[in-house]
Amino acid sequence: MLLGIDVGGTHTDAVAIDIGDKPTVVASCKVPTRHDDLLSSVTEALAAILDRIDRNAVTQLNLSTTLSTNAIVQNKTEDVGVIVSAGPGIDPHNFMPCKDFYVIDGSIDHRGNEVRALSTHQLAKAVDACRENGVRVFAAVSKFSTRNPRHENLIRRTVCNCKSVDACEHADFVTQGHQLGGALNFPRRVATAYFNCAVWRLYNDFATAVEEALDDMGLGNVKVNILKADGGTMPLPQSRTLPVQSIFSGPAASVMGIIALTDIFHDSIILDIGGTTTDIAVFADGAPLIEREGIDIGSHPTLVSALKVHSIGIGGDSAISVVGPEVRVGPNRLGPSVCLGGERVTLTDALNYTGASAVGDVAASRQAIDAYASARTLTGGKLAGDAVAYAARAIQDAARALVDEINSKPVYTIHELLEGKRIVPKKVYLMGGPAEALKDELRERFQLSTEVPANFDVANAIGAALTRTTWELELFADTQRHVLFIPSLSYRENVPSGYDLEDAKRDAANQLTMQLDSMGVFLRAEDAQITHASSFNMVEGYDMVGRNIRVKCQVRPGVIKTFGEGR
Amino acid sequence: MIKSNNTLGIIFFPAFDWAISPTHPERQERLLYTQDQLREEGLFDIEGITEFKPDVASVEDVERVHFCFPDVPSVVTRSHLISAGGAIKAGDLIMEGQTDRAFAMVRPPGHHAMKVVHGSRGFCTINIEAIMIEHIREKYGHKRIAIVDTDCHHGDGTQDIYWHDPDTLFISLHQDGRTLYPGTGFPRDLGGPNAMGRTLNIPLPPNTSDEGFLMAVERVVLPILEDFKPDLVINSAGQDNHFSDPITNMNFSAGGYAAMNDMLKPDIAVLEGGYSIQGALPYVNLGICLAMAGVDYSHVREPNYNAERIRQDARTTEYIAELCKQLPALYFDPPKFVSKGDSRQGVITGDNYVRHKQIYYDTDGINEVQQESVTLCKQCRGLYKVETRADSGPLCLGVEIPVNACPECRAKGYQTVEDAQLKGTYRYVQLINRRDKEYIRYGF
Repeated sequence: MLLGIDVGGTHTDAVAIDIGDKPTVVASCKVPTRHDDLLSSVTEALAAILDRIDRNAVTQLNLSTTLSTNAIVQNKTEDVGVIVSAGPGIDPHNFMPCKDFYVIDGSIDHRGNEVRALSTHQLAKAVDACRENGVRVFAAVSKFSTRNPRHENLIRRTVCNCKSVDACEHADFVTQGHQLGGALNFPRRVATAYFNCAVWRLYNDFATAVEEALDDMGLGNVKVNILKADGGTMPLPQSRTLPVQSIFSGPAASVMGIIALTDIFHDSIILDIGGTTTDIAVFADGAPLIEREGIDIGSHPTLVSALKVHSIGIGGDSAISVVGPEVRVGPNRLGPSVCLGGERVTLTDALNYTGASAVGDVAASRQAIDAYASARTLTGGKLAGDAVAYAARAIQDAARALVDEINSKPVYTIHELLEGKRIVPKKVYLMGGPAEALKDELRERFQLSTEVPANFDVANAIGAALTRTTWELELFADTQRHVLFIPSLSYRENVPSGYDLEDAKRDAANQLTMQLDSMGVFLRAEDAQITHASSFNMVEGYDMVGRNIRVKCQVRPGVIKTFGEGR
Repeated sequence: MIKSNNTLGIIFFPAFDWAISPTHPERQERLLYTQDQLREEGLFDIEGITEFKPDVASVEDVERVHFCFPDVPSVVTRSHLISAGGAIKAGDLIMEGQTDRAFAMVRPPGHHAMKVVHGSRGFCTINIEAIMIEHIREKYGHKRIAIVDTDCHHGDGTQDIYWHDPDTLFISLHQDGRTLYPGTGFPRDLGGPNAMGRTLNIPLPPNTSDEGFLMAVERVVLPILEDFKPDLVINSAGQDNHFSDPITNMNFSAGGYAAMNDMLKPDIAVLEGGYSIQGALPYVNLGICLAMAGVDYSHVREPNYNAERIRQDARTTEYIAELCKQLPALYFDPPKFVSKGDSRQGVITGDNYVRHKQIYYDTDGINEVQQESVTLCKQCRGLYKVETRADSGPLCLGVEIPVNACPECRAKGYQTVEDAQLKGTYRYVQLINRRDKEYIRYGF
């Protein structure tokens, strides 16, 4: 039995799924989300589910939570000491995420050579300044640390200048930039390390509370995984050092839900139409697309990889307005809808009026729409019809823009450009509250086959429950310098001159398997995918002096089982 | 978050699967570290800087500019068409107002490719700037265009293509041809009789550093640009003047390149040479990107930069200052063309200017002989004709009717092609008719 809990903006959804030959939803529930006490929402949802199933059969709980996201949005984060070494380039002060930000002289180049040593004098002063300000969590980031973490290591050692291995009297937690992944992007590394520290304490307190609550319920042996924004999960113990990965995992749960509930083979558009927004995702050949670099948190681009999801301010609770001759919907949410006791007419009221839905008090919707329309010399029918058409058009425009953006993404080799795949959506999948009501209008707009799967109301919790554990790593080898480096594992090894791309691919897959194994996750060899592999001859004068090898290996995000026919 | 002052479109196409040979300077590794540096700096996250993918140039895009023999598919690879397509994309971004500036950071380069193409010269096969410019003119109407070639090598190909075009100003700053490939690019080269002064060469002595480059730009290039009033300024941005470049002898720095770009303010920059792939390209390209976007570039510096060590000596400064005094007159008051009976410099016979050329394709080891002629017409730029033979290969003919051709020159163009087919001994004949946008090949 697998449990899935998705803590959403309005509701916390939970499901229990029996994985037999074909998965079935054994129990599901929705409870209100209490943002000031997320744990109580989680335990309430759990209790409701456990009442209806045999709790001894539960083996796993997958949890998606808005905790870190909310903390950042509401500015309830902890002060962080951010210490960086940048060397020449863009002035790092442009990327200053917080007040305790210190730039130390020192430089590492793109090959990983230390061009200039870190100034220990400046570093000591910076650490002292942080301590005086009472800072207990630190981010150590250097430019090109994914090629050589030497400066980050020195910063960490200086910050935790203590004898004990387990506890440190000076710092509670240090994030080192290279451990966040192998991708190049110094400003993003700075921001990601900062956020990882900023939510670390809050997240860890929550994780501890969840573990205790499960113990109390007799579920101490259940494996707990946390959803990530890229549509995978990470085991709870590992998530404690990477809390930043749990940010914005909400849309991932819905996308994984759609994958679990349907069989997607084609290029498709996924629309999760909620109360406030519509989330749009794009699938290529049945697989969700990932944001190329990482998502923005606040106004900071980060390295947190995520499914490519675009949100627009159109949902069931979006207000209707009339501007000149045009009837508009959104982007503001002024709900609830009139049919649910609100004051301002919304898209849901318009759908009630046209007969596409029957939510709450339909008569109230009709009355309010008529009143709103006649005050603007329109008929109720015209206003409602135009509003629904506007919403569908806005959703379609946004979906088309997203597909165009994806199709114009740069590529780096002749092969990619000439054989380059263009995404041509052939199907639209709808979920969320107003999905069924908007189905016909959207089908007309898109002129594509449109499907609303069963169970679409708790699809996100189903997605959470079935999402599998993912991990990725990047391997970088330089045979001239005889080194191999896997930044996210801080793994360094000497390699011989003859080390080549095939060796690198094999090593990357092995390391990935071993890493997952250490987290208690069994990985079949075929699940470790090499997603990038390149080898460049390095030449000095006219002689080849070595190879520069880059390999990226991952467990592709996905669900462990689907409800579909499995055609 | 940084916001750029100018929106900048970057077309980055490192062609990671194309090379002349595994150890050739123009190989896959060339833009690898540039890519690493740009990504590590987070360049594409700067608000206003956007990366675009290149278009793929068509055969017609190439034939609008070049006479390729035996034909386009025989001389170009896909990579060349994408590189030219990258430049075309840069042109479209600017002309359609999508971005204020554009930088095509693509390879392979193109500025040694001349009007006639039998193969590859100086790692160049087709002239990607010229292909972009003529695409712009065909699609968006005729434009006055200034090309400032800042590659360390003389842009002899671009010079050859625009030798007779009074609407294209070509200025090349380069290491003196007496000391470097291709051995050309002297102040006496000013363009054909119909376009005298539209070509200007600024040969700089070896070891010229930031001071000398910026002096030449300030005292020679900028006043001329101001006078010419181009619709577009294009920078052939070769980065091999760098002090660490292995195949040249100059002492320019990344900061200097950025400052030069800031002074030129090109609408479009197109990457040309530059073979110090580790020590220079990452920093120079970053500096140029920031300068084009109007973002502070003062912190961009090479790891081994030492201004004192690369400073030019006083004699060099003196020499360049003297050049800066004399060169502007060649544009502002060009001498009249005098036919001195040397057919390599060009002679006037009747209504025609005729020139003989010998061209060596160093990359492919091909020798070519050409006879080029242009009608000296009062009404238009004149009909262009070129007879060419590569090594012992067959004799070929290229005829170009210019965009503003008068009815007579146009008729003469068709007549020339017809005569060539009936009476000539040409294996291949190609007609470029810019006036009617007609591109025809015979004998293929």
